[in-house]
Amino acid sequence: MTKRIFRSICFVALTVFLASVVFIMGVLYEYFSNTEQAQLKMQTSLAAQGVMHAGIAYFHDFEVTNYRITWIDADGNILYDSQSDAAEMENHLEREEVQEALAKGYGESRRYSATLMERSFYSAQKLTDGTILRLSISQNSILTLLFGMVQPICIIFAIALILSVVLAERVSKKIVKPLNEIDLSNPLSHEEYDELSPFLRRIDHQQKELRAQQTKLLQKENELDTIIGSMKEGMVLLSPKGKIISINPAARRLLNAGADCIGDDMLSLCRNLDLQEILSQALQGRQGEIVIQLQGESYQIDADPIASENIVKGAALFFFNVTEKEKAEQMRREFTANVSHELKTPLHSISGYAELLKNDMVKENDRIPFAKKIYDEAQRMVRLVEDIISLSHLDEGALDMRREDVDLYELAQRAMQSLEPQASAADITLELLGTPILFNGIARLLYSMVYNLCDNAVKYNHEHGKVTVTIRKEDHEAVLSVEDTGIGIPPEHQERIFERFYRVDKSHSKAVGGTGLGLSIVKHAAKVHHAKIEVKSAVGKGTTVIVALPVKA
Amino acid sequence: MMRLQFDEQLDLLNKELITMGALCENAIAMSAKALTEGKPVLAKTVPDLSVQIDHKEREIETMCLKLLLQQQPVAKDLRSISSALKMVTDMARIGDQSADIAEIITLANIHATDDTQIIHDMSVAVIKMVTDSIDAFVKKDMQKAKAVIDYDDVVDCFFDQIKKILIDLFSKPETDGEYAIDLLMIAKYFERIGDHAVNIAKWVLFSITGNKDG
Repeated sequence: MTKRIFRSICFVALTVFLASVVFIMGVLYEYFSNTEQAQLKMQTSLAAQGVMHAGIAYFHDFEVTNYRITWIDADGNILYDSQSDAAEMENHLEREEVQEALAKGYGESRRYSATLMERSFYSAQKLTDGTILRLSISQNSILTLLFGMVQPICIIFAIALILSVVLAERVSKKIVKPLNEIDLSNPLSHEEYDELSPFLRRIDHQQKELRAQQTKLLQKENELDTIIGSMKEGMVLLSPKGKIISINPAARRLLNAGADCIGDDMLSLCRNLDLQEILSQALQGRQGEIVIQLQGESYQIDADPIASENIVKGAALFFFNVTEKEKAEQMRREFTANVSHELKTPLHSISGYAELLKNDMVKENDRIPFAKKIYDEAQRMVRLVEDIISLSHLDEGALDMRREDVDLYELAQRAMQSLEPQASAADITLELLGTPILFNGIARLLYSMVYNLCDNAVKYNHEHGKVTVTIRKEDHEAVLSVEDTGIGIPPEHQERIFERFYRVDKSHSKAVGGTGLGLSIVKHAAKVHHAKIEVKSAVGKGTTVIVALPVKA
Repeated sequence: MMRLQFDEQLDLLNKELITMGALCENAIAMSAKALTEGKPVLAKTVPDLSVQIDHKEREIETMCLKLLLQQQPVAKDLRSISSALKMVTDMARIGDQSADIAEIITLANIHATDDTQIIHDMSVAVIKMVTDSIDAFVKKDMQKAKAVIDYDDVVDCFFDQIKKILIDLFSKPETDGEYAIDLLMIAKYFERIGDHAVNIAKWVLFSITGNKDG
């Protein structure tokens, strides 16, 4: 900017200067030349009169001045010349001023010398005797004048240059300063000069647009960050070279990664070679998944290639906690194995006894006990299948069961009545405490819950023991507690007794019977009624199971 | 341009080293698992791993030599390449010794006794050392490297304990000689693996500080 302004100023200054020099010089030079010529004419006429009076003698007392006097006869021969020898000079007849004087009596001309450094003025007059007297004077030419003025011209040039530099600097500063001082975030507040205002208005408009877009972008970014940040699943984005581009807090926690892990290799966070394998597969465009152990839990890791237009631009890793799922899977597998096992055992006895009977290998008086054994085992299977059916029914959610008001006290009474034979066989006292309480629930489930709890209390009791069932009401809960004086449950088993087919006594002893599904049914029934179950037990002393059923207001 | 390529090669070297470290971890973990769970079948995979580790060693060595020749590294780069060259030797030894342990296990002279608990504890300690030494390398963590060097005392202490148990064992007439010797060798191998982990940690320290004695 400064340079441009400097150039223009310089150009203007020098042009004006040169133009004025040329113009003034030209005019003045012409004026002086004319004056000179007029003077010369006067001198010529004076000299002509002198010559006419004195003839050649006039020249004898002639002081040689800066005038040159030439006397030419009518034929052009030189009669006298004040500067050179007349005899050696050429004929002057063809000279312009001589010709003019011959024709008109007076003539004049101007001629440049060979070097152009001088200019000569000639003035010729025809004397009465036909000869011609010519006077000439030399004058410095305009070029000589200019050469003489080179120094001052140079100085003026220099001054012009310096002035231009200073001015250019100042002007450009003055132009640029307000431009620099514009508050770009608020351009309209500043109107230094009018020429800027369209520019400022446009900036203002664009600023506003930018701000709006920025807000939008930030909002979107925040949204995404929040979603990814609060995601329970770990997520890692990787570049095509396997470097981490982005990692969410869940993944960071999972991989024990610091904040500076962006840009690191995935391998430096998790040295699992299987993971590395599926990752490199993903970076080649193939999807993969594995399950690995991280921090004591199972995680399924999905590696997905991120491709656009068939070029892999990176990969995404997702970490899902599948510990629960695997546990459930394992439980299902165990359940199937257990069911088949439990079903097979009575079937073996049944088929064995039946085979003996079929082959008539049983003594007459053993037949009844054999038939009884077959019947007992068949009954066991029936109970088992019933339990499994009711469990699978409960698994479905027991949606189709009708809720009604049930008297828990009466329910417990019925259950205890049906258990009376077993109890009296082992000399166990059954006791029911509490008052009738109405509870809105599914009668069949509640009954099987109470029945199973009491059944267990009787089964796992010592001889001459006691089972106490209490029904009472607390705040918003109907509480059913079944207390026995039995063998108790060791603490390490207490958590698992509600699992299907789980037995504290691993031998699945037939001594106590049962299907191993009783407490599972209790748990499910409690779940359907949103009840809480609490187990208190001491080995050898007895167990208390407390079921708290919430009563709807 | 040249430097960019060099950086990429260094990066690859780093990655290969970590992979080799992971292979070593797998090998020793597998051996230890076979030992403590009494499943000699698990030990069968270890020799394969050991072969893989040896291949990796050759690969990394070639890579290091190529880098030294072609790039003529100085200062930090030189240190990391030369320590990589040394580290792979220790890692390869860890792989070999894991395979040796696995081989002893497949002979099935070791059976579950009270002594396996202490050897289990020892294997846990050694695995921790190996994992930590590789972690120290990955994260360029001097603190961790120093901790690995200090932790060697714990492993040595385990070895002494096992030695004492075995001396007691030998004084009893009904001792199964094969069992005792196999146990001793396994303990010795674990102890050696611990030493290699210390070496790795020392090379990590060298590559960071340039000081050869930590």
